[in-house]
Amino acid sequence: MKTQQELTRKRSLAVDMRKDMYMYILLLPALIFVLIFNYIPLAGIAIAFKDYDVLKGFADSPWMGLENFRTIFTMPNFVNAVKNTLIYSSVSLFGQFPFPILLAIFINEVRSTGFKKTVQTVSYLPHFLSWMSVIGFAYSIFSITGSYNDIMALIVGEGYEPSNPLLDADNFLAVIFLSGLWKSIGWNSIIYLAAICGVDRSLYEAASIDGCGRIGRIWHITLPSIRTTAVLILVMGVGSLVSTSFEQVYGFQNVFIQAETDTMNTLAYREGIQGGNYSVATALGFTRGIISVILVLAANWLSKKISDVSIW
Amino acid sequence: MKRKASDYIMDTIVYAALIILCVLCLYPYLNQIAISLNEGMDSAKGGITIFPRKFTLENYRTLLSDASYGKAFVITVLRAILNMILSNVVMFGAAYALTRKRLRGRKVFTTYLVIPMYLHAGIIPIYILYRYLGLINNFWVYVLPFSFAFYSMVIIRSFIQDIPESLEESALLDGANEMTILFKIILPLSLPVLATMCLWILVGQWNDWTTTLYYITDRNLFTLQYLMMRIIKQGDQLRQQALLESMDVDTQIKTTSESVKAAMIIATSLPIVMVYPFLQRYFVHGVTLGAVKG
Repeated sequence: MKTQQELTRKRSLAVDMRKDMYMYILLLPALIFVLIFNYIPLAGIAIAFKDYDVLKGFADSPWMGLENFRTIFTMPNFVNAVKNTLIYSSVSLFGQFPFPILLAIFINEVRSTGFKKTVQTVSYLPHFLSWMSVIGFAYSIFSITGSYNDIMALIVGEGYEPSNPLLDADNFLAVIFLSGLWKSIGWNSIIYLAAICGVDRSLYEAASIDGCGRIGRIWHITLPSIRTTAVLILVMGVGSLVSTSFEQVYGFQNVFIQAETDTMNTLAYREGIQGGNYSVATALGFTRGIISVILVLAANWLSKKISDVSIW
Repeated sequence: MKRKASDYIMDTIVYAALIILCVLCLYPYLNQIAISLNEGMDSAKGGITIFPRKFTLENYRTLLSDASYGKAFVITVLRAILNMILSNVVMFGAAYALTRKRLRGRKVFTTYLVIPMYLHAGIIPIYILYRYLGLINNFWVYVLPFSFAFYSMVIIRSFIQDIPESLEESALLDGANEMTILFKIILPLSLPVLATMCLWILVGQWNDWTTTLYYITDRNLFTLQYLMMRIIKQGDQLRQQALLESMDVDTQIKTTSESVKAAMIIATSLPIVMVYPFLQRYFVHGVTLGAVKG
């Protein structure tokens, strides 16, 4: 026999849901879309464990177990792709990290509002350009007839041989780093600037009364105010260390450097969608996903230990 | 506060650094504009900075007379508008529903919606799914998958939560139900955040080209950005068509594929570049909202 309490509890659930019916209807489209476009593909990860044959379809493709993973680990391009992915990502993440902070501090030190606003607006421009536009500029500027070679000819003088640095695989890391920095420095400074603006102005006055110089004020007041934000951004960045920007890498690649500069996601694209090698490509993507989850958890744990800041 | 010598030195360093940054940000764009307004053969000699040497509009004429540009423009605008409508409806509905504290299962739904932010299936399972759904080489692949983004929904939700409860309470006392509150109070007050969403969506949709790369091979469905990618990377020739159609001496002399390429880049990026300075504060507001509440 159900107790009176249990009966009342059950009924109020149904009653509540009936009352909120419209709310559930409002929520429904989002739930359906996420189900179709996010959760169902997750089931498709099973393709990584099968020898997917387009003709046979999903269910009838033979089971391969870990064979596909063995294949990718022994693929000649795989090791290089992993190496490239980690190098490009870490250099970009850690190398670019201080600059938006520096920019935010500099902008904060400017007293003229007009100049401040102008700098901000101009520095956001690269963010609003698509990677393709940026790559278009780059190829134009670094081409033999572009500004880069014009300037180099002026600097080096006689006997300068114009060349396009984008065609050399050795320069690719610098290209990725510098273009990434150029594109993100302005936009990424927004968050830091917001944090800095949250600081009580009287703190600065108190510090200068106590004899603190300008640099001292920056070091002791401005910087600590953005510590939390900075650590959070680093932690989130470490989680994405396996994800290079497909657009940036694929966009900058050209026929001369393609083989050496592939990263995990461009490799997955070439093998999978271009090459039709679905199983291998899925295994690649799955490997990337696993590493990514491990990295996020590790970074979060690490930051909890070092500071009190963490995502969850 | 007395200003010391070191203050002036610091000021100089700060101002100098910021000016250099502005130059670096602007130069490539101005350089490209100059090239697009310059005769192609002349640009090939090098030495163009931010002013055209031999001014011509021929590059843009060639660009705009090409049918593929017009088609790509329409596709891009269409996908931006449809996304704005669909996304806002889906996300606003979900955001509002999730602000109702009494809603049963609220935590469950939120968790359900957040997990996909961290778990990705990869492009292949998605590709195969789209194949089953008939979205390959279908315009709707530009719209349907983009309808829900958790991060954006959270920003809308935070905004709604900031609306004073007293407004809702007095409406409830007057006998309104939740749907009336939604349409008569919450929605009108939420227009700023929805406008911000529209801007984010506009930029995202306008600049996206990987969707076309992965899922579209039909030339009629190319977007502006993708067309530009092909021209830059794969040497698709816009100029060939114009040359074939008009044996115009002007076109032959004044344009090269490089100069038309420059016109393409400027024409494709110009709408966003013109718009963002004026709507900047909406974008920035959205970023800080998300950062603070997220």
